[in-house]
Amino acid sequence: MGCAGSVTAPITPTQTLPHQGGGLKRLALALVLLVAGCGDDPPVPDFGDPERGRAVIARYECGACHRIPGITGARGKVGPPLAGFARRAMIAGTLPNRPEALLAWLRDPPAQVKGTAMPALGLSEQEAGDAAAYLYTLR
Amino acid sequence: MRRHTFTRFAEALPAAVLAACSGPQSPLDAGSDEAAGIAILSWVMFAAAGLILVAVLALAAAAARAPAEQPRWATREGWVVAAGLVFPIVMLSALLAWGLSITGGGGGASSPPAAFRIAVAGEQWWWRVTYLGPDGSALFSTANELRLPIGQRVEVDLTSADVIHSFWVPGLAGKLDMIPGHVNTLPLVAGRAGTWRGQCAEYCGGAHALMAFTVTALPAPDFERWMAAQAAPAAEPDNAEGRRGRALFLASGCGACHAVRGTPASGTIGPDLTHVGGRPTIGAGLLPTQRGTLAAWIVDPGHLKPEVRMPPFPVFRGEDLRALAAWLESLR
Amino acid sequence: MSRLPDPRPRPPEELEQLQEVWRQPGGWRLASAVNNTYVGVFYIGTALLFFVLAGILALLLRIQLAVPENDFLSQATYNQVFTMHGTMMMFLFAVPAVEAMGVYLLPNMQAARDLPFPRLSAYAFWAYAVGGLAFFCSLFFGLAPDGGWFMYPPLTSSEHSPGHNTDFWLLGIGFIEISAIAGAIEILVGVLRTRAPGMTLDKLPIYSWAMLVFAVMIVFGFPAVILGTALLEIERSFHWPFFIAEKGGDPLLWQHLFWFFGHPEVYIIFLPAAGFVSMILPTMCGTRLVAHRWVVLALVATGFIAFGVWVHHMFTTGLPKLSLSFFSAASMAVAVPSGIQVFAWIATIAKGRLRLTVPSLFVLGFLAIFTLGGLTGVMVAMVPFDGQTHDTFFVVAHFHYVLIGGMVFPLFAAFYYWAPTASRRALSERLGKWCFGLMFVGFNIAFFPQHVAGLMGMPRRVWTYPAELGWGWINMTSTVGAFILGLGALVFLIDLARNFRPFTGGNAGNVWNAGTLEWLPGGNYATRSIPIVTSLEPLWDQPDLAREVDEGRYYLPGAPTGRRETIVTSAIAAEPQYLMQMPGPGWPAVLAAWFTAAFFLLLTVKLVTPAMVCGVIALALVLRWMWDTDLGPAHPPVDIGGGIVLPVNCSGPMSHSWWAVVVLILVAGAVFASLLFSYFFLWTVSPDVWPAATGQALPGAEWPLAAAALLVLSSALVWWAGRRLEADGHWSVRLGLAAAAVALAAALAAELAGQRATGLSPTDSGYGAVVYMMAALQGLFVATLGIMALYTLARSLAGLLHRHRRATFDNTMLLWHYAVGQGLIALAVVHFGPRVL
Repeated sequence: MGCAGSVTAPITPTQTLPHQGGGLKRLALALVLLVAGCGDDPPVPDFGDPERGRAVIARYECGACHRIPGITGARGKVGPPLAGFARRAMIAGTLPNRPEALLAWLRDPPAQVKGTAMPALGLSEQEAGDAAAYLYTLR
Repeated sequence: MRRHTFTRFAEALPAAVLAACSGPQSPLDAGSDEAAGIAILSWVMFAAAGLILVAVLALAAAAARAPAEQPRWATREGWVVAAGLVFPIVMLSALLAWGLSITGGGGGASSPPAAFRIAVAGEQWWWRVTYLGPDGSALFSTANELRLPIGQRVEVDLTSADVIHSFWVPGLAGKLDMIPGHVNTLPLVAGRAGTWRGQCAEYCGGAHALMAFTVTALPAPDFERWMAAQAAPAAEPDNAEGRRGRALFLASGCGACHAVRGTPASGTIGPDLTHVGGRPTIGAGLLPTQRGTLAAWIVDPGHLKPEVRMPPFPVFRGEDLRALAAWLESLR
Repeated sequence: MSRLPDPRPRPPEELEQLQEVWRQPGGWRLASAVNNTYVGVFYIGTALLFFVLAGILALLLRIQLAVPENDFLSQATYNQVFTMHGTMMMFLFAVPAVEAMGVYLLPNMQAARDLPFPRLSAYAFWAYAVGGLAFFCSLFFGLAPDGGWFMYPPLTSSEHSPGHNTDFWLLGIGFIEISAIAGAIEILVGVLRTRAPGMTLDKLPIYSWAMLVFAVMIVFGFPAVILGTALLEIERSFHWPFFIAEKGGDPLLWQHLFWFFGHPEVYIIFLPAAGFVSMILPTMCGTRLVAHRWVVLALVATGFIAFGVWVHHMFTTGLPKLSLSFFSAASMAVAVPSGIQVFAWIATIAKGRLRLTVPSLFVLGFLAIFTLGGLTGVMVAMVPFDGQTHDTFFVVAHFHYVLIGGMVFPLFAAFYYWAPTASRRALSERLGKWCFGLMFVGFNIAFFPQHVAGLMGMPRRVWTYPAELGWGWINMTSTVGAFILGLGALVFLIDLARNFRPFTGGNAGNVWNAGTLEWLPGGNYATRSIPIVTSLEPLWDQPDLAREVDEGRYYLPGAPTGRRETIVTSAIAAEPQYLMQMPGPGWPAVLAAWFTAAFFLLLTVKLVTPAMVCGVIALALVLRWMWDTDLGPAHPPVDIGGGIVLPVNCSGPMSHSWWAVVVLILVAGAVFASLLFSYFFLWTVSPDVWPAATGQALPGAEWPLAAAALLVLSSALVWWAGRRLEADGHWSVRLGLAAAAVALAAALAAELAGQRATGLSPTDSGYGAVVYMMAALQGLFVATLGIMALYTLARSLAGLLHRHRRATFDNTMLLWHYAVGQGLIALAVVHFGPRVL
């Protein structure tokens, strides 16, 4: 039961999100994390918080292009689906799927892969870290 | 873990109940005198209805539990007539008088003249918004958003280009239908600064659920600045990516449906994109406007908004798509 | 009358003969049954099936809405499912269910052996069952309608809905129009003319009153939607622009026609349910209904006021303030009769001792839910409040409170209450309490939150909503409630499966100690003998009545003519007038319904030739079925007991068939009135396409004058033929009818030729469309009367038409004079209107 508790950071009031989806979505997220987390415990990432990352992903509407488990309405078909992202070997078919590469990619994709369609959306380092932390919960 | 989440959920509930009376699309969260008047009427009616319901149920319960010897009041017709005929007639007459006194009904002669007019046409499934000059000519055209000066009376002429839609900004006024062959005029006066969400309220087929818009009330100086900016043509791109995006836009036939004033693109089928980057949303309230959502929309709008009239454009290479989206985003 | 009950012993073979005459065929031949106790149960069962199917659709909708931005159903599927849910609940469940209960209950309650037109009941039922199922199956092919149950054009025009989906809706409604009108005729004539002797209007059970008002409302309400659907299908198929604004049509015309039907429809559903409550409560409380006459008055008043409120569905269309005010007031006024009934029921509960049986629980649940629905109804009758809540979930909540509370709960009360009259076993009180508990709790959890969703701004008919708006939790609650409600319905089905045993030749009897006649012992023939009614609750006031009736001590204790028969009584005083022989089981009506259904279905998918074949077969079967009617005085007058000797069968104004045709003429008149309304409405909205503005020439006066002369001639010929028939002329009757038919057709031809000569085409404009529609409606009558004339001729040639056997001729004649009158008015409006006004 408690195996995923470690990745669920407590929410503080300052992190109230633009999406006032409330408890339900959190419940859904918790369930996803529960399922995702029970396979083998992922290490607590030091570069970001998955729950904040979920909000970042929602705020930047990554779902317009990607299908992302646990993100409400994220059913985009422009880019690849991100289910199982933590187990994927390559990012954009080009970069090794390592946290540092992912962070750089999220902040400025064209700088990493010249021909990519994925634009730089202006994520801060913190936001990129949080988003990456969330993506690594997708196993 | 589960208990933790559940507790949070339980804590969220009362807050959510309170939130029922507010929110960007709640008629009870009034942003105008008209909406406030209706909200007061609503609360009074809720209270009265609650009292009457409780009274009727209490009466029924008392009746059901009455002792074997019949209560005298029950056997007489008189009180049935009093409670079922006289009481409702008195209550309803009073309510009717109040209701009629705040019925807009298309604006009476006593209303002050409108500061200006806006023409809004409902189309499957977006809103064509045209600001009109004093002589009725179009000043500029935008889509899926209205901006209003605080405290000024604006008249919105509502029409439809295809099927019946209904223009509804709950925070500001009741809804009014947009019917082919009819022009309905809705006066709007925003009482304070703020942004309200509106949504089509008459089922209009396919993507009816995804036909929203925003109304933003601004202080007069901000509003004047916004009007001037909207009337101006699109700015010249100031970087290579922007120039490339514009060239792609013009070369790919986007101008057949869309206009960007200041460029040769002058299509009128879809929304005027002259200042699309400055609008809060694309796809009629569907997604916030930014280069990522713009790119996703261009490639395949139908997967974001089923049955949308715009065809998919899966023709761009990655950097071309980025350039196009970046240029559109820059059109503020 | 004073000689009844007759103490003398009855002949031993009498009961046997009665049973034999009314015996139902077994096995698969059961489908050919026409008797109300069979057709009524089939009918109720089918309505219940559609309730379950449409309920499952509702659960699909609730799953989709349970969380924001869900993709359980796609947009296209959701739009089809919500359209089907509404359409099926309204047209395939609610109206047929209350009509079915009427078919089942009324004859028993009035101690008639059957309704006056058993085969019409069977036809209406089968057309509805087959057509309804085919309509439902359109879902599996993605062909289900997706324009909402209200089908507003221009969304449903051929331009914006080119597929067959909309046609399926029009088809489905076509069936229900047929069966509703047939049922209304049946019920109206049944309530007025087939009552137990002595059952004067002041002794008429409240339920019969409710069904009387129900039938009258159908007669005047449905024609508007019949015309509306005809106009829409004609616009879609032939491009006559009734609703297309660019061509001088108006989408609002549809809304007027639809809601002129659509709001009375709500009361059409509610009044019979109110009738259930007024029957059940006195039994459960063991006392008479308090304020009986006020309740009757309330039913009638509701019927009237209901026709003055339709515009409250159109408060947001931009109508002038004056008409908003009028309709707002009327909409509130309609709450008053409901208020009277609610307090009368409470008073009845207080007066007696309420037994908390399952029917009582459903009635109490109804009281609570319906009261809240009525209160929110008053709210949405307020124009400013409606501006905010119209087309939101607040309204969804409101009308589910009114319809589920006001109709489904009383219907379930009625199921539990009356099941013992049909079934060998009563339904289970234990399961029934579970059913009620789950339904009541589930209902409120499902629908109360929807008020809040509406007040948070959630519109109706949306397949998805953004998470940011905070509507998720409320929708999840609602979904949970919907499933609890569904569970309650499931418990009911289990109860039915375990305990409901109809058609076994016996029933559970008067288990509630009720006072009205449907609780008399009996069989398929209803009661052994038909009692004299001297009070509202005869079984309470005459303790021996049940036994005496069953011993055959009252009227008509057998089947003296050797056929099925019932007593026809006068409309007000319920005095026996004649003995009507009625048909037994038979296939023509049933097969006619199947082929009618096939005709419409094939036409919908544009298989014209097979459709026509089916249509012709259906028509032939209807004529075959008619051939056995109009029996004339087939038997010498019969002593029905009590010193009363009645003639067998009857022609002329006293006959039940004359009354039925008069009702049919009222329906036709209401259709025509709707068309006249359409004419003047379009003229008012788009005077620019009328001749005065376009310079379109009107046909010269010689055309309409010639047409009018031909119409009058045709009526005169029919009148003359009727005179000749009285003198038992034969060839003069045939000649007169044939000449009249020619004149009627020639009048139509003259009108069409005159319009064609001016170059006007129905596709030109709203004006052209409505002018030709007048002619088209007249054409329908020309065709119908042509067939009726041929049929009458055939009967004459077969020797089945003479002075004493002339109902066929009379029916043709009545409709003929009506058609001529309608034609003359149409000519006056079309030709003199634009010249004079």
